[in-house]
Formats: sequence, C-alpha cells, structure tokens
Amino acid sequence: MTDSATRPGTFLAVDDSPLHHQMYRVVFAHGALAGSTLLHAMNGREGFELYAAHPELRLVLLDLNMPEMNGLEFLAKRRAEAVHLHIPVVLVTTEGSREDEARGRAAGAWDYLRKPFQPIDLERLVARLGDYTASAVGHG
Amino acid sequence: MTTPARAARPSGANLFDFADQIAAQAQAAQSLAQATEPAVAQLQLIAFRLDAEEFGLPLATVREVIRVGDITRVPQAPEHIRGVTNLRGRILSVVEIRTRLGLNAAVPGPRSRIIVVEVQHRVVGLLVDSVSQVLKIGVDRVIPAPDEVRSEASDHISGVAHLDQRLIILLDLERMLFAPNRAVPSPS
Amino acid sequence: MDSGNAFGDLTQDYIAECLPLAEAVTDAFLQLERRWREGDAEADSVVELKRTLHTLKGNSAMMGLRPMQIVAHALEDVCARVVADVAARKPEIAALLIEGAGLLVDQIRGAAESPADPVRAEGFVARVAAALAVPTPGSRDVPPAPEPADRAGLRLERRRSERPADAAGGMIRVDFRRLDALLEIFGEAMIEQSALPEVYRRLAARCGSCPEIGELDRVVVALRATMKRLESALMDTRLLPIATVFARFNRLVRDLAQAERKQIRLVTEGGETLLDKAILDRIGEPLLHLLTNAVIHGVESAEERLRQGKPPEATLMLSAAALSDRVMVTVVDDGRGLDTERILAQARALDLDVGGGADAAHGLIFQPGLSTAESVSHVAGRGIGLAAAAAAIHALGGSIEVRSRPSRGVVFTLTLPLTLAILRSLIVEVDQERYAVPLSHVAETVRVEPNTVHAIDGRGVAMWRGSAINVADGGALLGTGATHSAPRNYFVVLFSGPRRRGLLVDRLVGHQDVVVKSLDPSLGRPDVVSGATILGDGRVACILDATGIVAQREVA
Repeated sequence: MTDSATRPGTFLAVDDSPLHHQMYRVVFAHGALAGSTLLHAMNGREGFELYAAHPELRLVLLDLNMPEMNGLEFLAKRRAEAVHLHIPVVLVTTEGSREDEARGRAAGAWDYLRKPFQPIDLERLVARLGDYTASAVGHG
Repeated sequence: MTTPARAARPSGANLFDFADQIAAQAQAAQSLAQATEPAVAQLQLIAFRLDAEEFGLPLATVREVIRVGDITRVPQAPEHIRGVTNLRGRILSVVEIRTRLGLNAAVPGPRSRIIVVEVQHRVVGLLVDSVSQVLKIGVDRVIPAPDEVRSEASDHISGVAHLDQRLIILLDLERMLFAPNRAVPSPS
Repeated sequence: MDSGNAFGDLTQDYIAECLPLAEAVTDAFLQLERRWREGDAEADSVVELKRTLHTLKGNSAMMGLRPMQIVAHALEDVCARVVADVAARKPEIAALLIEGAGLLVDQIRGAAESPADPVRAEGFVARVAAALAVPTPGSRDVPPAPEPADRAGLRLERRRSERPADAAGGMIRVDFRRLDALLEIFGEAMIEQSALPEVYRRLAARCGSCPEIGELDRVVVALRATMKRLESALMDTRLLPIATVFARFNRLVRDLAQAERKQIRLVTEGGETLLDKAILDRIGEPLLHLLTNAVIHGVESAEERLRQGKPPEATLMLSAAALSDRVMVTVVDDGRGLDTERILAQARALDLDVGGGADAAHGLIFQPGLSTAESVSHVAGRGIGLAAAAAAIHALGGSIEVRSRPSRGVVFTLTLPLTLAILRSLIVEVDQERYAVPLSHVAETVRVEPNTVHAIDGRGVAMWRGSAINVADGGALLGTGATHSAPRNYFVVLFSGPRRRGLLVDRLVGHQDVVVKSLDPSLGRPDVVSGATILGDGRVACILDATGIVAQREVA
C-alpha cells in the first residue's frame, strides 16, 4: 500500500444514525487520519448527492438500512449511472449480517466494516483499499 | 494550591484594592510562616469580624468577596437568610451569619462585605461586618473550641486558632449552612 | 464508562439515540403481548423490531457496552424464533421479550451513571437460551411471515424516518447545557435592554426633544422587537415532544398493574406536543405519581369492574394538548372515582376548610397529610405523595386540578407553562418591595376606591365581577414588616384554577418579560414565591407564586 493511503483526505459517511456520525468524527479527528475532511449524510439520497459532487472522496462509509434511499439502492444507482466507480465504497455492518454483506458486495461495495470496530480497524481498511484520488483527478 | 488572588476574585474595579491588599497580606503571612515554622502544615484562612469577635473560614471555600449591594428580602425564607442579591446576573442567597451565631441582626455598614463561598457545590454569600485579612497559620495553632465559646453556637464552630494576641474562631461552614436550623440558646 | 473504549465520550449520544429505539421496541412488545393474549398470533412487526435490536446491538458493541450488546442479541434471537415459529407467539415469550427490552431500556438510560450490571444481563441471556432450547413442535412447516402491516411496526418506521427528514434540513446535535448558557446570556441582554427605556426617559427629560432623541426612541423600540424575535427563536430550540416522557410509562403501568393484579391499558395521546426540555425533565415524577395512584387506588379489580358492568380492562389515558401559551396534560382513569366522604372526614380531622361542593372537596387531596389510599399498607413506599406532586407542578408555574365522578373515574388536569425561562409579568410594589406577578395568573387589576374592600370577620372582601372574593393585604401576606404601610392603591386579582384572590399592592410598576431564576434551596420552600428575577435596575425581585397565594390561608 502506498503511504499516501493513510494520510488525511476527504471521506463521506452515509448513515441515519447521529451516533455513528459522532463515532466517525472521533476516528477522523485522531491518529493517522487526523485532519481529514469528513462529509456527513443522513440518508442515501443526500449521500448520493454529496458523493456525486465530490470526486475527490477517498472513501465512502455506507450504512445499509436508511430511509429515502438505502445502502443497496445507493450502490445500484452508483453502478447504473457509473458515478465515480473509482471511489471505494465500504458497507458498515454489524456482526451476524453476512447476508447483507454478501448482497452489498454483489451490488458493488468494495468491502465491509463490521461493528464493533475500533479506530485502528478503520485506519487499516483505508490503508488497505488505497488512495485512488490521485488517478481520478488525473483523469478529470 | 489556591492562590489568594484567585480565590478572592474581585468583581469590579472597586475591589481591586481589596485584592491587592489580601494578596500582599497573604504573601506576608506566607513569608512569615516560612521563616518560622516551615515544617508544620499550614491553614489558609480568610478572617472577618462580627462585632468584636474575629472569625475565620478556610480560604479554599471562598470564591470572592463583594461589597454589599441591594439585598432583596424573600418572603417566608428562613430567619437566617437575609435575602438575595444580584451577583453578575446570578441570584445569590445571602446568609445573615450574625443571627446564625446568636448575635442580633445588624444594618450593613460601609465596611460590611459579602463573602461568597462554595460549599458542597452550592454558592452562598455570608454577610459579615468587615473582612480583615487572609492569613496562614500552622494547624498546630488550632485547638478545639473552649467551653465558653461552645456555650453559644457550638454547632457551627470547628475550633479556635491562637495567633499572637488574637483569637480566631474557625467556623464549620457545612454545618452552619446545611444543618437544620436549630434554635440557638440566647444568652440570658 | 468504559475508559478503554475509543468512543466512551459519546455515551450521551448513545443514550439519546438508543433509548428511544429501546423504548419503542418495548412498546411494540407490549402490543404484541396484548394480541397474543387475545389469541391473535400475528408477528408482522417483529421483522422490523429485530432490525432495530440489531442496530442496538451494534451500537452497544461499538460503545464497548457488553451487557446491552448481549441482551439485544438475545432479544434478536427470540425475535428470529417468533418470526419462524407461530407456536412461539405466546404470552410467556412476549413476557420474555418485554422483560429483556425493559432491561435494555434501564441499562441504556443508566449508561452515563454506572456500568450496566453484567449479572442481570447474563441471567437474562441464560433464560432466553433455556426458553429457545425447547423446540416448539411443528416449527418447520410455518409459512414465511407476510409483509408487515402492523401498527407498532409502522410507528417504529415513522420514528426512524422523522429523524433523517430533519437531518436533511441540516440538523446538528447540541448539548442542552449550551442552550442554557445561550439563554443565560439572552437573559442578561434582556435585563440590560429593559433598562434602556428608563435611560431614554431621563435623557429626554434633560435634553428635551431633538432629532437624536427621536432616533434613540426608534432604536429602543426596534431593539425590543428584535429581542422578542430572538426570544421566540431561542425558545424553539428548547422544545421537545412530550412523547419523550410518555414513553417511560407504558412498561411502568404494565408492571404495576401486573403486581396489583389488575387489567389496565395505557393510552397516550398528543405525544407530539412540544414543551421546554427543562419542564419535561421535571414532570416525569409527578405524572408517574398520578399514574401510580390511578393504578393502585383509582382502578378496580377486574371482578369488581365486571360486577359494575364495566369492561374488566380499565383504561388509563395520558394526553397532552397545546393551548396558546400553555400545555395541558390530562391523566384520566375510568375507575371508581374519589371517595368524597373519606376525603372530607380526613380533612376535618386535619382541621382543613371543607366548605364548597364536591369539586372543592376533591381539591383537598393535594393537601399534605391527606391520603387517597384504601389502606395504609398500599401507600407505603409508593410515589411522592399527591401533595408533593402538586407542589412539583406548582413549582414549575403550573397548576393541577382534579375532577371525579363516582364509579366513572378521575380526571387530573395539569396546565404547564411552555417554558420555564421567561415569564410575562406584572411588576407591583408593596411597601417599597417589588414583585413580579406572572400575567398568566392575573385576572385583572382593580383600583381601590373608598368602600371597595370591606373587612368582614377580619378578612378583606371585595365584590369582583359579581361575586365576593377574598382580598389579602400584600404587606401582611408577604411579611414586609412595614409599620406604616403605604396606601394600597390597587388590588391584583390572582387566579389559579377555579380559585381567585385579590392582593392589595401600593403601585403597579408595569409589564415586563422577566427571566426566571430558581431560588437556592437555602431559601426553603416559600409558598408565596416561585422564583426570582433581576429587574432593569439590577435589583432582584421575587416572582409571586399565584397558585400558592390563592391557596394560602386567608389573612386580613
């Protein structure tokens, strides 16, 4: 993995839980990712708008059960409209949701992050998935 | 450790002189204490007067000392509560400690002050005749209250400190403020 | 709590998010139990409930709160069984679900105070395991659950969707203490602002009219209008639906009814009614007392109800409705009603005034020392007493009334201010002391002419709107101790509920919106004063408690 992958960047959290947004705030305020920009969306529709407007996103954290547009619908729209397919989208699940994880992978999610997770888990995930923003900007 | 200047925060320009005064006194008391008995644990007190008697409170409980402004009487309040006053937008209860200690209530004079104390997370003001100084004394100077003092309002007294020719009565604030209001036997 | 957890600082957020979910799950389980008891073995809502539990489990795990995590997990398992197996849809299983959800509610509510008890959690999990270990016959050929159409499910759905809808409008989360701080600052600004007109008058008196004075007048008026708008905007930020309080009661009433061996259904209405959070925080206890009272004393046993031709299941209704600047909360039961004779007998024993009709007699139950209990053993250790409940409501600037009809039931009506923070007041002067009188309790101010107020039996009496009302001297009632009392030029007619009383004062100073500050406990609990405020000149004025004054024993 490149070093740049664990440097601060712009991230998007799509989740209807204010608590989760707070948790992401904690993760992105400390450690290797400190200084990152974190965008928040409280549902899939809002999330997709932000997603489409921000090609520089490093990674998207996507909840599955949301009103307006759920995680799977988000992924379907992303694929159908081929919007920023280079941006890693990660499903956030709770242990014991294998079915959800499988469906999400099938719909185009890159990976999943299982709750409970610690900040280090998210850092590792970000590092593992790499930084694709440079190439994206290059294509731009 | 609480420094005197911080503990006795003046609330307005007219109190800066007071702050300076007690800071200087504290310093003097400190140097004196260091010169004489460096080994004994020190007690920091704020001393004040009611009539001719001198009383002391632990400085750590004191938040500030303010001049006496308008005090509003509160209907049906306990007898030892003189009223409430405006402390920078907060309502401060003012305790008439004279009556709490068996003395007659008095009209506040120009030297009267309100000592704002914080006890058990509650902030109240104590109306006193005058504030004399901040001083440090060794804990070995403090003795339990003698009987003649006990006879009056012993519930509220934690001890007596001897300092040169002076006798400073140390008040037990918690008991004085929160103990049920027991009738103090009047000296007949 | 869990200091090793990276998200330990988010405990308040965790409670704020998860407590309503856990409460909603509890309510839905209560409804399920009712249906299953009635033989309706549907479980459509359970799929959604299981999802919510899954969320609770995940969130608890993130927070490192294992007891909550394992309880939620166990409940999920029970739900899975219930979905798959019609035979599992029986009251015992529902009881298990309710117990677990209740435990979860308690654990989450207490998450900020102390670590959840792992032993209770483990115990519950073990019981779930034992219950699920017994395979119910015929569990394999159960058709899959049909699509949810259940009310409980729908309600949960709505709750979940409301939040993000707000969020789409740009919602943020703010610690309530910050709103308090904001209000504090606003209060100071209001005090400073209220000093302006006086300064303006003095300036105008000294300088006469000039363009600058006119300019100043306009600015002062405009500032006042802006402050009003700021006030209402600020107040809006403090309002929360009363459902947050109501949610607690479903399980409490159920448990209590069970302990009392009574059948009771609690119905809530108007949960969307908004109230200042500071009030919401303080009405839970009095409401709980009224409900407890209704369950224990108001409602008859099923057999007794049947004998009287009533449905065996009693209905307790808790409802809220917004009036113009107040909120009305009612607690209604369809039980036996108050025992008027007993109340009167007790009141006589306590030497209370027992004049007036049955309604007045019923009002006596708020007097300290009176008990509505059937037997002493029943009351022991329960609630805070009706007198204390009434005192708590009065302390909020609210009022409480009771109406009762034999064998028809009891209605408690609480009227609460929308906010505790700001009070529209009439400022009066008595023996040079100034007091703020809440306008919400002022019926009228009357100028005292010769022969307006008569002394009858040492009591002041005046005719007002066609009836005689007691008029008390302000100086005597407030204990000003003035020896040469000033001429009392006015009396203010105060009212609280049906009761009225005049209060003689020297001067009406004017109307003012005052910022309410509570009295320090060292001041005791005066009956005639509910709080204090700071006037434009920086002096403190006490706020009169109209309810307390109206209820005071009559003085000349």
